[in-house]
Amino acid sequence: MRRFTTLLLFLCLAATTSFGGGYQVGLHSVRNTGMGLIGTSLSNDASSLFYNPGGAAFVSDKWSFSAGVSLIFARGTYQAKDVNYQATIKHELNTPFYFYAAFKPTKNLSIGLAVNTPYGNRLAWNDTEGDDWKGRYLIKDISFKAITYQPTISYKFKNVVGIGVGLVYSTGTVDMNKSIPIQGATGDGTMNVKGSTSNFGFNAGIMVHPDKGWSIGLDYRSKIEMNVKGADATFAVPQSVSDKFPATNKADVMLPLPANLDLGVSYEFGKSNQWMIGLNLCYVFWSTYDSLAFDFQEPVNGATHIATPALYTDQLIVRVGAQYKVSKAITLRAGGYYDPSPVKNDYLNPQTPSLTEIGVTCGLSVTPFKGFSIDAAFLYLMGAKRDGTYSPDNFAGTYRTGFSIPGIGLSYSF
Amino acid sequence: MKKILFIILSLAVLTACERKIDEFNASANGLDFSNFVSVGNSLTAGYADGALYTSGQENSIPNIMATQFKTVGGGTFKQPLIGTNDGVGFQPIPGGLYCYTKRVLYYTVDKDCYGNPVVPEIKSIKPGFVSNPDQATLLQQLFAPSTVTGPYNNMGVPGATLQTLFMPGYGSQYGNPYFTRFATSPGTTILADAIAQQPSFFYLWIGNNDVLASALAGTDQMMTPADTFAKYYPMAAGALMASAKKPKGVIANLPYVTSIPFFTTISQKLPWNGVPLDATQAAQLNGLYALQGHPEIVWKAGLNPFVYKKEDGTLAQLQEGDLFLLTLPTDSIKCRGMGIADTTKHPMPYIYPIPGKYVLDKSEQANLKARTDEFNATIYKVATENNLAIADMNGYLKQFASGMVFDGIKMSTAFVSGGLFSTDGVHLNPRGNCVTANFFIQAINSKYGSTIPQANVTNYPGLTFP
Repeated sequence: MRRFTTLLLFLCLAATTSFGGGYQVGLHSVRNTGMGLIGTSLSNDASSLFYNPGGAAFVSDKWSFSAGVSLIFARGTYQAKDVNYQATIKHELNTPFYFYAAFKPTKNLSIGLAVNTPYGNRLAWNDTEGDDWKGRYLIKDISFKAITYQPTISYKFKNVVGIGVGLVYSTGTVDMNKSIPIQGATGDGTMNVKGSTSNFGFNAGIMVHPDKGWSIGLDYRSKIEMNVKGADATFAVPQSVSDKFPATNKADVMLPLPANLDLGVSYEFGKSNQWMIGLNLCYVFWSTYDSLAFDFQEPVNGATHIATPALYTDQLIVRVGAQYKVSKAITLRAGGYYDPSPVKNDYLNPQTPSLTEIGVTCGLSVTPFKGFSIDAAFLYLMGAKRDGTYSPDNFAGTYRTGFSIPGIGLSYSF
Repeated sequence: MKKILFIILSLAVLTACERKIDEFNASANGLDFSNFVSVGNSLTAGYADGALYTSGQENSIPNIMATQFKTVGGGTFKQPLIGTNDGVGFQPIPGGLYCYTKRVLYYTVDKDCYGNPVVPEIKSIKPGFVSNPDQATLLQQLFAPSTVTGPYNNMGVPGATLQTLFMPGYGSQYGNPYFTRFATSPGTTILADAIAQQPSFFYLWIGNNDVLASALAGTDQMMTPADTFAKYYPMAAGALMASAKKPKGVIANLPYVTSIPFFTTISQKLPWNGVPLDATQAAQLNGLYALQGHPEIVWKAGLNPFVYKKEDGTLAQLQEGDLFLLTLPTDSIKCRGMGIADTTKHPMPYIYPIPGKYVLDKSEQANLKARTDEFNATIYKVATENNLAIADMNGYLKQFASGMVFDGIKMSTAFVSGGLFSTDGVHLNPRGNCVTANFFIQAINSKYGSTIPQANVTNYPGLTFP
């Protein structure tokens, strides 16, 4: 036992990486997190409902449940270009979670519900001297959270091919603050936008078990247009310009949750399939996010449409993972992934300081009795630094971001 | 199990420790900033909002630069602080000076030209004096010794021209009060006081007033001749370079003055051809002008240009591109017929041209530009021949005409809303000074290979809105 934990420690400490992936979160199963976030070709538990609905029908138990939470300890720093100025991202604990429940009325049919948090972004910038931070006219803090609810149906044909589809209902909230460079006696003007919305999408997948030990999965999760209608836009500016910045305004904000096309291959081998290795290729259709646009009901400084360009580009994430069943009671996992940033260098914005990310993960499950397991994983990302400019606002600097993400989950099936 | 959880959590806590922040790698690359001395005019002195005041001086271009130099061995930078935040500005009047405070922004009800509030009530942002203290108090503040003892690293003197740098007595009671208040002796010169300090690095931005003073008077007749400039400018830079420590330095060229808000603001609101007439009115005016000796002015039905008095005393109609100065009495235009005919005169209206001092016509603008180009050629020649750093302020001000963005702050030459200039429409506000100081630092870094950090623009205030 001690030897394995020492091994895990080494694995984790050897990891180097960064923070990235725009505002997409990949933590949907503590087990899969331990294996480099792979999952498209796996059908070990109810998390298949999300990773690949085609795989849910391959889960053998009649009932299966899985739930867990990850604790994102984020850290980030900014060093201004040409200016002796530093800022840090304020520590705020983000906790993406998941809950999956699947039921098999027949041997080949599975129905289930997946609830999780595939998208989100939450950060607040802090001046290291305690002053107002240099990027406050771009963003002071932002909290964007989305929770998706996905009722799913999955059917398999002869233990070889499984197909599944889920209807995705997503709710989202956004709350952001920034300063406006018009100063009164009490300092800068301020802007807050706060609202919530919901919309539908779908998740469809197919899984094939072509040969003993092999599994191939293909999954497509559609884009969801989170169109926040009538968000509260609150401005506080000096009285003499208050007619240009209505104090209580309404805004429509469009934030697209990008589509994903995931291809996964995995292979189980060894004595009673003790080993499993897997590869995932995840294509994220980031180019849908071309700008963060606000459409105000009342004109703000003469304009009703204010857009900050994002110009994201599509990216391919490569993930590898392995699993080793030490005994009936203990399973160990490790993995890694490469997640290139969808943000161009001249559009690197402190609102989502997305860096190309290499993650290393490890995890284990403890199974005290058949069907029940306690899962733990650790994902370590140490940001490679990135120089960039948000050119529309001429805001330049070097970002370093990094994460430590422990996760804990429970799975129960019978 | 517990042990494993403990290990995972402690790993998380361990690795979640604050990242070390990159340090800025500042280097002077051999430059010596221990005694930085700046020579210039109002732009250098920190003059803003139509007056000299303490916080304006604290946000002066060279003081912002000196603050950045501290990271690369810069010494103290002493300025002749005036000791009042309400400020003192003045203009010469027969027999003395008329003084006033700085101007700040007020949000007040618009009044018509008779001083009555307009109906329905409209409020707008207007610059106005801070208070109205008596002349004696202001004069006393103007001539009082600085709250800081000298010598002063910032030798910027509002109103200074190239030649006044060399002028003995410029700091005497008959000279420029802004120099008199801190000159080491009545007989000294600005350059002598600067050189006596043995600068280790110098800043020289002079020549603006050699064009601007003329432009502010609405004429092209008061500019320094180009050959005079070509003679004195190398002498000024040469004197600084030849001082005890043989310092290196940074200089700057001169922006075209006609792009500053003082010359663009009114012209954007009041069209040059803002006189609509019908045929009858045009005929009446033609009759009036002929009767009063100016048949050369012809009025037509439709939109007509205003009439103004040219430098040579002749009358002419404005042309597209002629500029009104910020000092133009717009009330007289609206209510007394300035630019057309004075309707308050009896028994008949009298022709009423806009006085030439309120107009920079196109030929005057062209001459001001041409002279600026000649001056700038001299400045570049001196920079090149002496390996001095040079900041292209003319280029930057051109860019500001369409706007430049820094850290999400859009800045332009628009009056008040542009965020670059102070309330006088000529001088910069602290944020504008910071941006300009950064242009100087960029010039130094690019010439001498240093990596002096630039100042944080967001730390310097723009105008304070009511």
